[in-house]
Amino acid sequence: MKKLLLLLPVIAFFSCEKEDPVIPNEEELITTLVYTLTPDGGGDPVTFSFTDLDGDGGNAPVVVTEVLASNTTYSGELSLLNESVSPAEDISDEVSEESLEHQFFYSFTGADLSVTYNDSDANGNPIGLKTKVITGNASNGQITITLKHEPDKSASGVSDGQIANAGGETDIEVTFNVEIQ
Amino acid sequence: MWKSNKILLLFFLLPLVGKGQKCTISIHGRALDEITKAPLPFANIYLENGKIGVIADEEGYFAFDNLCADTTHIRISHVSCEPLRVFLAYKNDTVLTLFLHHHEELMDEILVHGKSTDQSIQNSGTLDKDVINQRSDQNLADAISEISGVSVLHTGAGISKPVIHGLYGNRIGLLNNGVAQAGQQWGNDHAPEIDVFSADHISVIKGVSSLAYAGNSLGGLVLIEPGEIGNDPHIHGTTNYIYETNGKGHTANLSLEKGGDSKSMRVTGTLKNTGDRNTPDYFLNNTGKIEENASLQLELDKNKTWNKSFYFSSFNATIGILRGAHIGNLTDLAQSFEREIPFFTEEEFSREIEAPKQRVNHQLLKVSLRRKSGQQIIDADYSIQLNDRKEFDVRRSGRSDTPALSLRQLSQQANLRFQKSFVNGSFLQSGLTGNFTDNTNQPETGILPLIPDYNQFDESAFIIFQKEEDKLLYEIGGRLNLSQLNVVTITRELPREIERFSHQFTNTSVSAGLKYNLNSAITLNANLGYVQRPPAINELYSFGLHQGVSSIEIGNNQLLKENSLKSTLSTDFKLKDKLFMQALFYTQFINDYIYLQPNPVPDLTIRGAFPVFEYNQTNARLLGLDALLSYEPIEKIRYIGKLSLLKGDDLSNGLPLVYMPSNNIQNDFSYSFSDFGVFNNTQVSMQWKTFFEQKNYVEGQDFVAPPPTYSLLSASVHTAINLHKNALHFSVKIDNLMDTAYRDYLNRQRYFSDELGRNISFRVNWEF
Repeated sequence: MKKLLLLLPVIAFFSCEKEDPVIPNEEELITTLVYTLTPDGGGDPVTFSFTDLDGDGGNAPVVVTEVLASNTTYSGELSLLNESVSPAEDISDEVSEESLEHQFFYSFTGADLSVTYNDSDANGNPIGLKTKVITGNASNGQITITLKHEPDKSASGVSDGQIANAGGETDIEVTFNVEIQ
Repeated sequence: MWKSNKILLLFFLLPLVGKGQKCTISIHGRALDEITKAPLPFANIYLENGKIGVIADEEGYFAFDNLCADTTHIRISHVSCEPLRVFLAYKNDTVLTLFLHHHEELMDEILVHGKSTDQSIQNSGTLDKDVINQRSDQNLADAISEISGVSVLHTGAGISKPVIHGLYGNRIGLLNNGVAQAGQQWGNDHAPEIDVFSADHISVIKGVSSLAYAGNSLGGLVLIEPGEIGNDPHIHGTTNYIYETNGKGHTANLSLEKGGDSKSMRVTGTLKNTGDRNTPDYFLNNTGKIEENASLQLELDKNKTWNKSFYFSSFNATIGILRGAHIGNLTDLAQSFEREIPFFTEEEFSREIEAPKQRVNHQLLKVSLRRKSGQQIIDADYSIQLNDRKEFDVRRSGRSDTPALSLRQLSQQANLRFQKSFVNGSFLQSGLTGNFTDNTNQPETGILPLIPDYNQFDESAFIIFQKEEDKLLYEIGGRLNLSQLNVVTITRELPREIERFSHQFTNTSVSAGLKYNLNSAITLNANLGYVQRPPAINELYSFGLHQGVSSIEIGNNQLLKENSLKSTLSTDFKLKDKLFMQALFYTQFINDYIYLQPNPVPDLTIRGAFPVFEYNQTNARLLGLDALLSYEPIEKIRYIGKLSLLKGDDLSNGLPLVYMPSNNIQNDFSYSFSDFGVFNNTQVSMQWKTFFEQKNYVEGQDFVAPPPTYSLLSASVHTAINLHKNALHFSVKIDNLMDTAYRDYLNRQRYFSDELGRNISFRVNWEF
């Protein structure tokens, strides 16, 4: 029995205190979406923004909206940022670099407006970072901006901005209330 | 190698005195069914050295006379039994009894081990080496799903986890060669990192508790046993090749062994390569799989007081995940439900495995010592496991090659066990176990980890007392476990900070059971067990999105232990070696049952809304029945019927438990042909399985209601050619013969795609 105890392998259990983990560099995170609409006829730009600095969970996102003028044509530009790192990273660049694999979709309910694509990828399909927005009469509603990763851009209706057949996975989906005065 | 197929109980009953005269030795013996102990009439017995064969009489008796002292392999075969090949050295007149497996469906853990020390009253079922060889292209969970009461939780075709009596994951213990498998077992899409081919037999303990084993066993236990290497001094081996039409999958494996008293050795290796699987109607893109596994087993000084053994196994897999099941938010999920065919489905077959995928490597090293003296055995062992898991998602800017989850777990275990048999029929075993697990996220991911870094220290002690009195065998035992968990988390709020938590749990388990042989036809068995399980790391601390399931899971570090009270009542009935019936009723009450509760308010993120599930506790009850009927109207024809019923309920909230296996019934018919020419052991069989719709479900408990009832037909044919010293087996098996399109409730990808269509597998097995 003594012999046995001697032969029992000694377990080198390490210190029970776990080392501090390395906090990952969340370079891929998108914290902020800013949709800036500049009136073609001049005037102050209108911005919509969605900001969730701490990512999933934690504090609730902050949504800011502004009022659009009726019967006006705007040039829209989307900007995606990762503001959890300093300086903030521009994720829009990643999207335009991989424009074949990305597409934004704009869908709206209630508000009298139309959105058309104003940019295209190497295959002539839309990306959606740049848009033209034409407002109609005064109305209220909502607009949902969706970014799809690896959509099927050749599927029916997708290049016209219809999301139904796009597939892929959603990297962004934010909804803003829209007021046209 | 055949001897390792069949556990042999070889009794030299009467080593009669031989005077060394030449060529007057006789070998007399009897062939019996291992399970029923019934004689096997007209069995063929063949001595390879002298190339002489005899046929046993009606009572299974056989005799060889006028032999010279020699060593030989004896081959024995019988209609509808797998043949047996054993090594025998004879110097004197020898009497032996040979046992063949005739009823694989009736095998349990006790019969496989055939040692009183391994006797247990717990209900169990076992797969032997033949079945394992046949199923060596499958995952562990799929291979053992033949055992009644065992179901499978799938994530697509490539990932499967065993479910025993409705419980899985953290509640199931897996013991690979006696070592509690340490990996990321908490994940529903984390398959056990074990190659079935490395096992000699696999047993599932469905009883109330498994006190003698380390690891979680509130819901049952799977024992993967490499088995002992025999005393055959020659090198023997078996090699398998399986081709599957669905996925154009290749599986090749090889096992070599050399027995002996001072040193014996076995090596096994497996290679698997499968491409995209298909449903009856479309390909499942990116569902290929590559596996490379090996094991080495070394036993030293088997006949001395101190036995030493050494075991190493390596499991390495890359598993593709259906591309169409990789989705973003709730909107994507809702769209996927409406589609007949998943997104990204292509017309072309491919072997490419791209993101989403998993890469898993698991290494196990074990050294053990056994001291046998008289009726007393002392075992000591130490093992170390390294588990590396990387999961890759489809990501932007080339980050698909960077894992989204990367965990490394180092686990060490030490066991000390003592067993003693007493002359009055009692048996005592007790042991101590220490276990240290160190789990670390690799920071390469660029994503906040789902599971925090932690380490866990466990100490346990157990004692079991057993006594056999006439027709009664009873058992009583207890286990005490102390568990310490140290966790380091990263806060979800900005700025990110590090927080430390620690938990201590003291868990007690007690059980009692009895087995009573009422008469030669009926055996009764009753067990009662109380088991406590501490909450696991994911239940306490997970936070975030998990691959494949579009939901945010939030752990709850206030969770308490689960307390389970399970009782089983079973009866075995046999009639004249023709009819066997087994029925096992079980009830399990789990207080503070840990489950994922859907949060009514989805979480709004920049990627849209996600359903949120939080870990919570309730009181649960599981009620079930496993039944088996085996009937052999004539020797060549056999019917096996299996039925599994289960109902799981959340008693506190008056709701059904989700993801409980649905009721199912299985019918197997087989016909064995008499040997003709060189063809032996020829058998055709058909199987008809029905899985009923899970009706114990309330609308809204899951994203999609349980799929409807489905039935599957499969067929197989097998034959063997016995050459002088080796044998070739051929078999063809057709699964889902009717090419039925269906979805299974326990497949996490049932939201996205159908199950596999028809699969024809061709197998060649050479034993030498």
